[in-house]
Amino acid sequence: MKDDLFFNLDHGYAEGLCRGFKSGILKASDYHNLVQCETLEDLRLHLQSTDYGNFLANEASPLTVNVIDDRLREKLVQEFQHLRNVSYQPLSTFLDYITYAYMIDNIVLLITGTLHQRAIGDLLPRCHPLGSFEQLGAITVADTPAQLYTAVLVDTPLAPYFIDCISEHDLDELNVEIIRSTLYKAYLEDFYNFCKTLGGITAEVMCEILAFEADRRAFMITINSFDTGLTQDERAKLYPTCGHLNPDGLQELRRTDSYDGVRDVAARYPQYKVLFEGSGTNTGDKTIEDKFFEYEVKLNMNAFLRQFHFGIFYAYLKLKEQENRNIIWIAECIAQKHRTRIDNYIPIF
Amino acid sequence: MTLCQLFLQPDAAYACISELGELGIVQFRDLNPNVNSFQRKFVNEVRRCEEMERKLRFLETEIKKDELPIYDPEDNPDAPKPREMIDLEATFEKLDHELKEINTNADALLRNFNELTELKHNLQMTQGFFDEAQAHPVGVLEDMAGEREIELGGQTTATAGMKLGFITGVIPRERMVTFERMLWRVCRGNVFVKQADIPDLIEDPLTGEKVHKTVFVVFFQGEQLKNRVQKICEGFRANIYPCPENPHERRELAMGVMTRLDDLTVVLSQTQDHRQRVLAATSRNLRTWQIKVKKIKAIYHTMNMFNNDVARKCFIAECWAPVSELDRIQLALRKGSEASGGGTVSSVLNRMITREQPPTHHKLNKFTQGFQNLVDAYGVATYREINPMPFVLITFPFLFAVMFGDAGHGLIVSVFALWMVIKERSLKDKWRTQEVWTIFFGGRYIILLMGLFSIYTGLIYNDVFSKSLNIFGSSWRVKFGDEILNRRDIDTVQLEPTPYNYSGTREYQQMYSGTPYPFGLDPIWQVSENKITFTNSVKMKFAIIIGIIQMGFGVFLSLWNHLHFNHRYAIYLEFLPQIIFLACIFFYLIILIFYKWTHFDGLVSTQAPSLLIQLINMILLSYPTEPESSRTFYSGQRGVQTALIIFAVICIPWMLLGKPIYRIIMNKRRANYSTVTNHTENAEHEIDEQTHENESTKKVEMSEVWVEQGIHTIEYFLGCISHTASYLRLWALSLAHAQLSEVLWQMVLHIGLSTNGYAGSILTFLVFMPWSCLTVFILLLMEGLSAFLHALRLHWVEFQSKFYKGEGYPFIPFSFRLLLDEVPIEG
Repeated sequence: MKDDLFFNLDHGYAEGLCRGFKSGILKASDYHNLVQCETLEDLRLHLQSTDYGNFLANEASPLTVNVIDDRLREKLVQEFQHLRNVSYQPLSTFLDYITYAYMIDNIVLLITGTLHQRAIGDLLPRCHPLGSFEQLGAITVADTPAQLYTAVLVDTPLAPYFIDCISEHDLDELNVEIIRSTLYKAYLEDFYNFCKTLGGITAEVMCEILAFEADRRAFMITINSFDTGLTQDERAKLYPTCGHLNPDGLQELRRTDSYDGVRDVAARYPQYKVLFEGSGTNTGDKTIEDKFFEYEVKLNMNAFLRQFHFGIFYAYLKLKEQENRNIIWIAECIAQKHRTRIDNYIPIF
Repeated sequence: MTLCQLFLQPDAAYACISELGELGIVQFRDLNPNVNSFQRKFVNEVRRCEEMERKLRFLETEIKKDELPIYDPEDNPDAPKPREMIDLEATFEKLDHELKEINTNADALLRNFNELTELKHNLQMTQGFFDEAQAHPVGVLEDMAGEREIELGGQTTATAGMKLGFITGVIPRERMVTFERMLWRVCRGNVFVKQADIPDLIEDPLTGEKVHKTVFVVFFQGEQLKNRVQKICEGFRANIYPCPENPHERRELAMGVMTRLDDLTVVLSQTQDHRQRVLAATSRNLRTWQIKVKKIKAIYHTMNMFNNDVARKCFIAECWAPVSELDRIQLALRKGSEASGGGTVSSVLNRMITREQPPTHHKLNKFTQGFQNLVDAYGVATYREINPMPFVLITFPFLFAVMFGDAGHGLIVSVFALWMVIKERSLKDKWRTQEVWTIFFGGRYIILLMGLFSIYTGLIYNDVFSKSLNIFGSSWRVKFGDEILNRRDIDTVQLEPTPYNYSGTREYQQMYSGTPYPFGLDPIWQVSENKITFTNSVKMKFAIIIGIIQMGFGVFLSLWNHLHFNHRYAIYLEFLPQIIFLACIFFYLIILIFYKWTHFDGLVSTQAPSLLIQLINMILLSYPTEPESSRTFYSGQRGVQTALIIFAVICIPWMLLGKPIYRIIMNKRRANYSTVTNHTENAEHEIDEQTHENESTKKVEMSEVWVEQGIHTIEYFLGCISHTASYLRLWALSLAHAQLSEVLWQMVLHIGLSTNGYAGSILTFLVFMPWSCLTVFILLLMEGLSAFLHALRLHWVEFQSKFYKGEGYPFIPFSFRLLLDEVPIEG
């Protein structure tokens, strides 16, 4: 109650901004128009009439999907940075937490890139700007996770998450994936606890979203780990434990070794049961990943229905990312003249 | 205003539209509203225009980067022909290309230059390190964590028997700390870093910003460490420069760098000159080009709204145009057709008959524009309805001034407005983005009139900064002797108001000359105790008189409307009861006010009946004789007033029932008529159908008519009373303004003026500042705003509700001038 009373004092401006940004998210009618576009020029013309305005106006023709992608990301990052700059404790910490996920992605991207002998100069621009930090470029120095930790990550906020995967093994593909999953597990749990300590509506909204995120990771890790030589115990170590699946569902997941098994586990949880039932592997069906995305969008939209909490910032970022993915998908479909699947974007409104 | 259809030859269409755009008197209608913006016919042309605009924007940013002036063209360039568009495109393409090439060249050169500068600094700094090391080899050794066998410099390594490598480079200063820490960690402390700040700012090749940078030298041992250090440098995007180990070579390299730097400076300045030349040439034409491209774009936008008739090979456009301008439009079309190379068939303009409501178009000039905006803010006039603007033009500033009556304040306001009006031309484009300023500037003529009227009312009230002027000499004299004036027990004395000795008493002394002060309020009131009582009474009565006259005028304007729209029934069923009601009660009240003013002088003024009680008694039909104030003005008052009240009361059912009953009768009659005609005349079938349509649109539910008329009636009759009371705000605000300015005088400036001696002059000086500030901010701005809003309300609600519907929509012509006047959006 007290928090609600004083919420606007510290975070009212940021919340107002965020809700304003949110109202710029494309509507179903916009998508309807976008899908009809014949060329990328049409796409640009139509985006001009939306909240994006002139963001592509200064690009020389011909337009490429990459340029659109860059501009979209630039705009999102700009908005987020602005929010971060006007934010006030504890909102700023909350926003920082959001960026940690991008840091993890960047680290993994760089390591895999160096494993494939790519020059660091090519890799750096591909990192997400939200997750960049000063030492990022020097990641290539490290050969083992231990070195990675002592040399690079010690100074970053990710250091505590990394403790679990310090080892002297050489970095290789599987290793990297495990590092990513371990980091994510630690990150999600930490973020979950942080939201819990914030309490109030923030906790209610964010814990729901993060629990889903954790469960999704657990499902995806299980599904992707079939036939990779990852043992059940190793796999179990990667499951984030802050989801609804914990603890029984995770135990079950540990034991399964087929897609149907996963589906059986999900069947015990009503919200996931629907998702698995609606998905299929045939062409034309929606994949389980798309289903998860749809459910995530729904959760994020729900976050906007409540007042006085931080969840909307997280939700806004995620929704905007989804929107960018949608626009890129449509743009790709247009560019490659592959219009049959153009409707496979995930509607937000 | 009429709806026209234009048949345009495809070849001539462009030229015709361009001519019409210059004229700016037609409003085109979108004939394909269902078509997406990118599926229209001329979308490619629009896109080409956008591409050109992009290039022009690029050129403009480049010009601005070099801080060259951009010239505004004196004349208004015509929209170029479609053929010219290709030329323009080519020109822009060339310029764009040229500039980009120059830029890439300049960038490469600049980067080279920066690198060399960095290298120069690098060499200088490292030279410094090595010199230092040479000078005090022992000291450095001690510095370097003791027992490790490391020595510095190329020559000394040989003696130590170990090869010591080093890397030098340059890094942005803010990254230095993390860089150092990282080096230490990765190499486990087996490196030695030396750094020095570069004093100059170095331009970042990507962003063009000037940044601080630092030179570093890293010493290490062995190949492996070298790899690592290199990787870290790469990761931190530090620029690594080779640095020969031999001091001799170093010096040579430094010399080489210096000469190359000199060469580069020359080349750089040359490219810069070239760039300047190109840009300067561009900047002269930039604005013209921008206008041209804008015009082309607008023309194609308009043409996108046309219907394309494939069979007859022409475009069909629909537009609203003022009837009086049709000739000019024809002329423009002919000119357009000729300009496009004399098409065989000229464009045709065809007037259409339509049932749609046309847009409302007022011919305005810069003086009336502001007032029209005030009216339009309430609602754009219904088509051909009477426009209250010409009346508002005078009544608005007048009502404002009644509330803002102070000649001094009015003077300041009008001087400010006069400045804006006189400097109009030069001020027009200044501060265009400042919203507050544009509001003031847009209303400069309103403010001017408001100021002038305030001076007038201020003189009537005899208020100049709350003080009175005694221009003609007061009509009153104080003729009491000293013995009365010096008596302790008397605070106030009353002046004798009668100019002659009516009663014949001996102690009568004439204090009032008998002729009133020629203009406005007698300044004697300034010193009187009962000034407020007096001015209140006068201002209140004036407020009522002004209000009732304005409302009556409004009702008469509604008569005009009825006559214009040929609503004969409305004259009898609406206008007459309204005006009779108003006359019976409120005009009568005005007559009473004047009667009271003229028939009671100083001698009998104490027995004058009270107007308020008279009015209440009139409504209640009671005529008591007891207190004196409720006695009648004249004999026979009772009969007259009863008759007036009866007339007024009859008006209410008259208005309430009249119109609905008229509707019912008309509907019946029309139904009879149409059945009759249907039976007899088939020839008139078509017309008949039209009337049917007419009816179907008009045939609204009778209950709705009843409810609407009921609301209308109640609104009017109650409104008359409440609106009259509402006009009392004229008095209230004027009182508030006068009191506030008086308080300000008494509390602030008076302090200074009432102090004697030198202290007084200093104090006055000190006190003047707050007094003038408060006068401007509170009395002029705040009070002015509130008086403005109240005057606005009096016009919108009290005046316009009597006759103005305001259900139209504005006429927005397709005009290049309007298009170019728009403030460019920054972004």
